[in-house]
Amino acid sequence: MTPPPPIVDLPVAGDGTAALPPLSAEDAARSRDRFRVHHARNRGRRWYLLWLLVGPGILVMLGENDGPSMLSYATSGATYGLGFFLPFILVTFAMAVVCQEMCMRVGAVTHRGYGQLVLERFGRLWGWFSAGDLIFTNLVTLIAEFVAIRVGLAYFHLGAGIAAGLGVMLVVFTLSGGRYWRWERIVLGMAVFNGLFLVAALLVKPHWDSVGHAFVTFSPFPHGTFNTLLLLIASTIGATVTPWMIFFQQSASADKGLTPSDVRHGRYDTVGGATLAAVFGCGALVAGAALVGHGGAPGLGGAGFPSALSHVSGATVGTLFALGLIEAGAVAVLTISASTGYAVGECIGAPHSLNNSARGAAAFYGANVGAALVAGAIILIPGVPLLSIALNANVLATVLLPVTLVFMILLANDHELMGQWVNRAWLNRIAVTIVVFIAVCGAAYAIDSFLQVVHLV
Amino acid sequence: MTEREELIAYLEADQLVAERSRPLGRATLSRRTAAALWALRIFVIVVGVMVIYTFVASLGS
Repeated sequence: MTPPPPIVDLPVAGDGTAALPPLSAEDAARSRDRFRVHHARNRGRRWYLLWLLVGPGILVMLGENDGPSMLSYATSGATYGLGFFLPFILVTFAMAVVCQEMCMRVGAVTHRGYGQLVLERFGRLWGWFSAGDLIFTNLVTLIAEFVAIRVGLAYFHLGAGIAAGLGVMLVVFTLSGGRYWRWERIVLGMAVFNGLFLVAALLVKPHWDSVGHAFVTFSPFPHGTFNTLLLLIASTIGATVTPWMIFFQQSASADKGLTPSDVRHGRYDTVGGATLAAVFGCGALVAGAALVGHGGAPGLGGAGFPSALSHVSGATVGTLFALGLIEAGAVAVLTISASTGYAVGECIGAPHSLNNSARGAAAFYGANVGAALVAGAIILIPGVPLLSIALNANVLATVLLPVTLVFMILLANDHELMGQWVNRAWLNRIAVTIVVFIAVCGAAYAIDSFLQVVHLV
Repeated sequence: MTEREELIAYLEADQLVAERSRPLGRATLSRRTAAALWALRIFVIVVGVMVIYTFVASLGS
């Protein structure tokens, strides 16, 4: 058996031996995962090592391919056909990779979550602002996820009560093991079914020349008013880079136990997740484009997509799209609830780990289940303007996203925390360009909409 | 090596819960960064108010 790595940096007891620090149940669980990583690395089992280390990157990217995002991509396809937004999805996922790689690296090097680091390094005001912003936008996004599950289930003639119950039960079930590894593998297993959107895209038999032309030329460019174009760009960005992703991947990387020696695999995980998510997102857009010339995007925020696709491309496509929406909503409910739990635990200084028991991390588990319960309950209230809430929440999330990203860049450049793992100059230039681009798009839409509401334009 | 020692050996020293709970000090910000954070505060307040106003107005209509 390969010997474990030497015990380093431990305090020394009076008799000159290393004084062992307190070891919690959470530490013991994480150590067992690290044991497997250590042995896979020492024995040169490359594929097994990759299997052990992937997770947060794929989950965050496929989690962001959530119900509203897939409906948004499909709506773009049904409204504008195969054009600008197809390659633009790739651009937004490339931006997401830059942001999420920083989160993974900061989590692996510091072993602390984003909320905790912002609170400790930049003060309570920014720490609580970040957490408050996240909790609010997460809650509203969770409502939209339950709506997506409801839309998918409605295709099978199942009601809102089942959607709410299914979402909450999934959260409780996945949390019940008290192990990060178990939670991650269950959610990864579910996230694989995001690929249903790609199968649906292949079944609608798209015009491949148009797909290739769109990727090469970013055209045809969408028509419409300036405000509509800004809304579409802001919502596409909001469908790919969001505050919860920043919180989730950094906290999950720390909770999984990643270390600086795992950063390379963390990058594979992030890039692999983004590639899968971009392909599946393009799948949703291509499937939606089948409705061009057949009435375009269905009304009610895309609620009629599965039925419309069923009429135009066959029952199999409609069924796949409906199942895809249920999966997309369910996976996002799990990851977004987890990010809410991490944010609450980190900001109040309470235990916050999936390797802890529900009794040992009551606030973390309570916030996790509580967020899902509140969102599930809201979709059962008749007359609540769910679509308006979801749309404005996405815009607000996009507008506030630059704040989250600025702190991410500051943390990734913090020499005291990161040492040799700080951002390179070229990465900073790309990251700052992305923040400025997102800030300009979000602010332009917010200002233009505001001026229209007050009748100044 | 005891089981406890072995468990600790597979973790980095600052990966233990006891160590992660130890608060870090405040970051030292350059004047340029501090100014940028003030600009960020103003951005958040101005644009956030616009979005919330737009949302409330859209509910009314």
